[in-house]
Amino acid sequence: MTGWHPVTLAAGLEPGTAEGTRLFGRELVVWRDESGQSHVWEDRCPHRGMRLSFGFVRGDRLACLYHGWQFDGAGQCRHIPSHPALTVPGTIRAPVEPSAERLGMVWTGAGPGLPPDEAAVPVRSLALRVPGERVFAALDVGKGMRSGTLVILQHGARRLAAAVQTLSETESTLHLAILGDAADHRGAGQAEISLWAEALRRTLEEA
Amino acid sequence: MITLYDFELDDQCYKVRLLLSLLGLEARKIAVDMLPGAEQTRPPLLLLNPVGTLPILTDDDLVLRDAEAILAYLARRYDSGRGWLPDAPAPFGQVMMWLSFAMGPLRAASAARLQSLFDQPGDGQTLAARDALRVMDDHMTAREFAGGAWFVGDGPTLADIALFPAIALSRDCGIEHEAYPALRRWMRRVRGLPGFITMPGIPDYH
Repeated sequence: MTGWHPVTLAAGLEPGTAEGTRLFGRELVVWRDESGQSHVWEDRCPHRGMRLSFGFVRGDRLACLYHGWQFDGAGQCRHIPSHPALTVPGTIRAPVEPSAERLGMVWTGAGPGLPPDEAAVPVRSLALRVPGERVFAALDVGKGMRSGTLVILQHGARRLAAAVQTLSETESTLHLAILGDAADHRGAGQAEISLWAEALRRTLEEA
Repeated sequence: MITLYDFELDDQCYKVRLLLSLLGLEARKIAVDMLPGAEQTRPPLLLLNPVGTLPILTDDDLVLRDAEAILAYLARRYDSGRGWLPDAPAPFGQVMMWLSFAMGPLRAASAARLQSLFDQPGDGQTLAARDALRVMDDHMTAREFAGGAWFVGDGPTLADIALFPAIALSRDCGIEHEAYPALRRWMRRVRGLPGFITMPGIPDYH
């Protein structure tokens, strides 16, 4: 896997919550600590392999649902409930991935190609039962500007950031945001783009 | 005196337990061996409900079957604030529409879950369940853009109760929540209601 990939809308990831997702079939947990920092990790507890997205956030730590092991933002295990007095060895770590927030979305990846940031109004993350490449084709990249997984396109008077997450060989998620300020696009603008995206979903899935 | 004939692992029975708890009502719960025993398909329960299903609720001499009918009765009888089942025609119609959805397309989620957990008939229901959950996610997405937080109106109604178990328990049949971001946010609101209770399959760490 190269480049940078969107995994969720930043606004939808509330502080103190964790959600599971996939990227090219690999399971990831995306979570936001209670101070507001977002994190992307492989979705696997180093203890017994339980999915950490089933767990819960306590302060700046993510805890596994299975045995309550707690991991700090750097992935370091800080607390094991069955051995409360133990100073946890530094080798016990959750698999942390690089992550950043741009355009109102949380991204993970490596190397160059992370989009520059600008003001964006989140719309929605739309699950699609088609491969990511079909979505890029439907976004009419001839008219839009594609850079990696991000397409910037014009929809009427609005400029959209449309970023495609490949979940598996057959499924993808289209993350949508309107570039600009909330005062211009919140409410009716978001609803308009959302309906356009639902129509795009019908077209893609019926083809 | 309210009596609920109940099976702990059944999503339909859970709807009734959830509303009883949210309304703060005391009820006698009689555990029925629904799976694998199918006790509800034989007398004496068959005499209370000739259809042979759970839940069954009795309140003094009244006998009711089907979760949505029971929810409607409990709301009319015990919710003096009229919030759970509004009187005004438009929200009343909207709540009934979602109760009908819960009894119709969304039953695919129940069937898929029973098939997955207990090897009951229901194979091939998972895609239909995903379609139904997508209808709900599209609806709550639009509601959020309009400033709404619940399926109907400005507060929780029976629609939210009748629709909640299908998504909250969907992982039991392998349907993850990643495709339903608006429902994920709405589930947190439902969980925050005073008197909210869980059932096996719905973690209670929140």
